[in-house]
Amino acid sequence: MTAEPTQQDPTQHPTQDAVDSGASRGLSTQPRPPGPFGQRRAERIDRLAELAATPPDERGESLTRETFKRLRRSPMAIAGSVVIAIFVVIALVGPLLTPPPAWLSFLPLYGPTAEVGLDQIRPGHIPGNSADHWFGLDHLGRDVLSRMLFGARTTLLVGVVATMIGFTVGAAIGGLAGAANALGGRVGRWLDTTLMRGIDMLLAMPPLLLAFSVAAVLGRSLLAVMIAVGVAAVPFFARLLRGSMIAQAHRDYVLAASSLGVRRPQIVLGHVLPNSLAPVIVQATLTLATAIIEAAGLSFLGLGNPDSRTPEWGTMLAQAQNQLSVRPELAIYPAVAIIITALGFTLLGEAMREALDPKLRR
Amino acid sequence: MARFIVRRLLQLIPTLFGLSILLFVWLRALPGGPETALLGERGTPEARAAIREQLGLDQPIYIQYIRYLRQLLELDFGTSTQTRRPVLEEFLTRFPGTLELAVVAMVIAIAAGIPLGYLAARRRGGMLDSLVVGGSMIGIATPVFFLAFVLKWIFGQNLGWLPTIGRQTPGINATHVTNLFVLDGILTREWDAAWDALVHLILPGVAVASIPFAVIVRMTRASVLEVLGEDYVRTAEAKGLTTRVIRGRHVLRNALLPVVTAIGLLAGALLSGAVLTETVFAFNGIGRFVYDAIRNADYPVLMGFISFIAFTFVMINLLVDISYSIIDPRVRVR
Repeated sequence: MTAEPTQQDPTQHPTQDAVDSGASRGLSTQPRPPGPFGQRRAERIDRLAELAATPPDERGESLTRETFKRLRRSPMAIAGSVVIAIFVVIALVGPLLTPPPAWLSFLPLYGPTAEVGLDQIRPGHIPGNSADHWFGLDHLGRDVLSRMLFGARTTLLVGVVATMIGFTVGAAIGGLAGAANALGGRVGRWLDTTLMRGIDMLLAMPPLLLAFSVAAVLGRSLLAVMIAVGVAAVPFFARLLRGSMIAQAHRDYVLAASSLGVRRPQIVLGHVLPNSLAPVIVQATLTLATAIIEAAGLSFLGLGNPDSRTPEWGTMLAQAQNQLSVRPELAIYPAVAIIITALGFTLLGEAMREALDPKLRR
Repeated sequence: MARFIVRRLLQLIPTLFGLSILLFVWLRALPGGPETALLGERGTPEARAAIREQLGLDQPIYIQYIRYLRQLLELDFGTSTQTRRPVLEEFLTRFPGTLELAVVAMVIAIAAGIPLGYLAARRRGGMLDSLVVGGSMIGIATPVFFLAFVLKWIFGQNLGWLPTIGRQTPGINATHVTNLFVLDGILTREWDAAWDALVHLILPGVAVASIPFAVIVRMTRASVLEVLGEDYVRTAEAKGLTTRVIRGRHVLRNALLPVVTAIGLLAGALLSGAVLTETVFAFNGIGRFVYDAIRNADYPVLMGFISFIAFTFVMINLLVDISYSIIDPRVRVR
């Protein structure tokens, strides 16, 4: 028995060069829509998209697994996750405790709209914290702690729904543009350019003012706030997913799939899209933080949720400005809650971004 | 250079055209149509029909669009229902205030952000570094108007160091030429008035500066850290150059390029910050006017504001682009 001729020596794999050139061929060689507006921001977003497309180290671990490994060691990620976990628990449990069930009736909690201390409110005087009202009362004699606990759910809901709107619409536009650019030929490139022209125009607008213009048209409601904040996030998601998909479309597995005869829609939906999602998920985490802050800004401008039965931290903070000289705590409690929550999402998002960035992998 | 500017100006035409279609569709999307916005829910059918005719809403959609385009070109945004004066006139008298606030905020953000970011990078991992990084994260997470509350509460009401209301002390002897009060005071040599206006800008300026400051600090820190690791810095050290020359000529100059790029991006944060802050300090700019417009359902002002902002941003982006091409000539050939 003689050994087989070593024609296919794995160390001299003929496609090794192709792997390298494929990897180094990032977004820079791609035709970019020439629109000058929002371009700097667009370039920054494209960089994040590109980062996630860089192939993993020689160890052969998947990018996702390696990222998770890094995240587990990152104090930023741990701190952020803890804050988010506490916030979610409060959001889930809070409304059940306000008012509390019978077996917990010793807790000084009330319904979010119960004006339990109305008789103690006088012009220019709002009582502060006491044993009966740990966070004090607001200008209508409602228990602030109860409203804060109840409001956690509304606040989380606004953030999550707004992010989901931005994610869904943005991913649809960006995914279409990315797929069209990467695999659609000339018509596809034209479609991509047209879509991205529009997105870059939106990207040039400050998100809060974009949300403002949406909310001003829709009128005042909780849903309007969610839609407005969501729409403001659409251009970021669209740009990011497009860039990420284009970067993925030039990887070798796409070449392999297409040479095996896999149909283009199957390649895009089954291979390119799932591999492009990592930076979009990072962006979603960061968007949750800005969504909560932007919702507070809209409430402050008077475009927030007018329904006092569903208290929300942003609205509470905005309303507190009228009682600022009497009881500044009314502003401080919701503001601190917003800051801590937004910080939690920002910490986790930044840690995820760092974990994805090969430049920092040392 | 001139060719580049002309090309950019020509590119402006399709952009503005696209923007006008976007805005047109947007404003038509009002629930119940513009007549409900103007009359409220209680308008009689006759009044509605009259408004529809007056606004040309009974015409075919393309004629409506042409009409809208003509109004835009004539800068006719209608009349404010609060003040009964043309919307554009109201904006133009108030915009200098917002502009002044934005400029002061930018100066504060740059003057504090670049040195702090540089120092944080030099002493990476130290006390100052942790403070700066943590502080900038908290700065981004803080709603701007809450920071404005806190500043007003501490420095205005409790300590009484700085004025918290308005743009200038009422009754002060001041002539207004450009409506940029500080500049007016300098131009007319009314130094008291200029100083008074500047002092009024400090607290709102600090509040508006918070987010740009946080961004600049982090950009500078990251950028300096990157440059400090470059070979040419090591070469400069090996050559025996003095620390001052290395820092000034080699590190800082190279590190600031991306920071300058980021500063252009911050115009949006400045303007939205100003809109949120002006109300807290009763500062008479566009933001406060729009805040009142929301409360009084002054739709011509709100709709005009949306068009105004969109147009302003197209212009800001153009200016930013042109200034980049001066700083970095490579931009021109792209």
